[in-house]
Amino acid sequence: MTIRGNADELADRNATGERSTDDVALRTDALTKQFGPLTAIDDVSLEIHADGITSIIGPNGAGKTTLFNLLTGKYDPTDGQIRFRGERIDGKPPHEIVRDGIVRSFQITNFFDELTTIENVRLASQARYTGFKPTDFLRHHDSLEEPIADAERVLERVQLADVAQTPAANLSYGQRRHLEIAIALASDPDLLLMDEPTAGMSPEETRETVGLIEDIAADVTLVLIEHDMDIVMDISDRIAVLNEGTLLSVGGPAEIRTDERVQQAYLRGGGYD
Amino acid sequence: MKAKTILDVIGQRTTSQTGNQILSKRGRLAVALGIGTLAVAGPIAYSIQPFWVYLLVQMLVFALLALSLDFIFGYAGLLSFGHAAMFGAGGYAAALLIREVTASALVVLPTAMLVGVLTAALIGWLSVRARGIYFAMLTLAFAQMIYVATFTDLPAMILDTAMITGGDNGLIGIQLYELFGIDFRNRLNYYYLTLGIVALSLAGLVRLANSPFGRVLQGIRENEERIEFLGYNVRRYKIIAFSISGGFAGLAGGLYVPFQSVAEPGLLHWTVSGELVVMVLLGGMGTLWGPMLGAGLIVFLEDRLGGVESWEIILGSIFVAVVIFAPRGLAGMIIAVRNDPRAALDNAKRALRNYLQEVRG
Repeated sequence: MTIRGNADELADRNATGERSTDDVALRTDALTKQFGPLTAIDDVSLEIHADGITSIIGPNGAGKTTLFNLLTGKYDPTDGQIRFRGERIDGKPPHEIVRDGIVRSFQITNFFDELTTIENVRLASQARYTGFKPTDFLRHHDSLEEPIADAERVLERVQLADVAQTPAANLSYGQRRHLEIAIALASDPDLLLMDEPTAGMSPEETRETVGLIEDIAADVTLVLIEHDMDIVMDISDRIAVLNEGTLLSVGGPAEIRTDERVQQAYLRGGGYD
Repeated sequence: MKAKTILDVIGQRTTSQTGNQILSKRGRLAVALGIGTLAVAGPIAYSIQPFWVYLLVQMLVFALLALSLDFIFGYAGLLSFGHAAMFGAGGYAAALLIREVTASALVVLPTAMLVGVLTAALIGWLSVRARGIYFAMLTLAFAQMIYVATFTDLPAMILDTAMITGGDNGLIGIQLYELFGIDFRNRLNYYYLTLGIVALSLAGLVRLANSPFGRVLQGIRENEERIEFLGYNVRRYKIIAFSISGGFAGLAGGLYVPFQSVAEPGLLHWTVSGELVVMVLLGGMGTLWGPMLGAGLIVFLEDRLGGVESWEIILGSIFVAVVIFAPRGLAGMIIAVRNDPRAALDNAKRALRNYLQEVRG
């Protein structure tokens, strides 16, 4: 996919009046996170555009997952700010950030093994409907019609509808990874942070998942951490390169491909494929 | 099998034991049968020996207390080591109210429950940021502080009056409840009052456990981090669950004190909290009904073996046996035997063999 191709695609989306290319969904200003003497994220100022897919790449230990943990409220930044649609979200607890529309999926599948597939997803969709109203204490959880309908829709979308009643523990690896995505989707995100969604998958599962990611990107702002350079170059509209906690470079796939600093730091002068 | 700690025991239980909901249809039927049996057993026990009814009331009160602990411990995964505080708070609230204001059960019992809720809300608010064993230690510490405050009658010192909690003597001569002109001096009537309240409490907590709220609690127990990233305010869920649990512990205190006619600091002592944890583990945590069996069994044994010297050794042996053969407690044992008696026996044999191998090294 070339830069030109991206531009055309973005222009098409604009023509349908969905979003403006210049819309910044999320912005970090001089974001810094220190763990004792270690600076895991160092003065990172990054803009995530509302449209398209942004990939975050970098060698191991570059701070990619730490950045996700900052954006989702798991860690409080040592310094700097995070703004989502113009509003500060740094310092907010994770559950409020989820309500604001920023949702993450985990690298290691992280859900409720004893529950069925659909119950896992429903627990996510339920969060938007239930809270501390009297009925939330008194009705039976099986009577939650809207959350269950939402969960069914999401399972359809990630092709897990036929294993809806299977305990999550009995799913195949690829299915588990899709369930992980389904749970994130059930929270109805505006911005979805995906941590290595294709890690450990067979080529066929990877192809399927990439298709799913592109499908999701049609109506959700996506940020990926991804190691597979073919996938990164293929599906990203923008790529941000982290190295030792600092933001090395941001740009389209073609720019990143030819960026010398990136090649030195990450690609070690060699190919990425 | 390494040395077994309470946390290992917790780790062994899974939701598959409880399935999609607490108490299936068959389970409900069994519980209804159990309550019916108790209702019939009351008069029979009374006619044989009135003392038996006294013991049955005690068993029921502690069943309610164990039920309240299981809701927060077994269901939400928060090991409270301070449940005696809510039990005692409810008990003292009942005692003071009966002495100073009214003996009407319709006023006193709901107040005891409310005081349990408030005490738990305070302890919960101060403790739920800590997790696992640290949460348990905090609840223990706060409960012990309340125990000492009661024991030394700190409220009276602060308010500069002669007596509020009565210090180490407690409050004695607490009269029985008044309710629709029923004579509670007849212990059988008190037994039915207790049985009714315990049955209603179980029904209420089962309802709560199967609600959307209860499902989130279960999620918190299984995977707290994930639940937070689904958009749930985990801290608030925990405080509310802890308060609800405390309400039922307070209610148990409200039933216990007028029956004993005494509110004394021993109600709040940490050994009561510890015994409750044993009751829950012995009965089978997370099932709600199992811990009630555990409580009944322990109160019964305590009474029957109380005269035997070092009877705790017997209780300890029973506990060890349950941990080895049925890590999911009496409830787990009952479920296993019901599902497949032969497999249950094989499992017990295997558990013993493995255990002996481990012991030999």
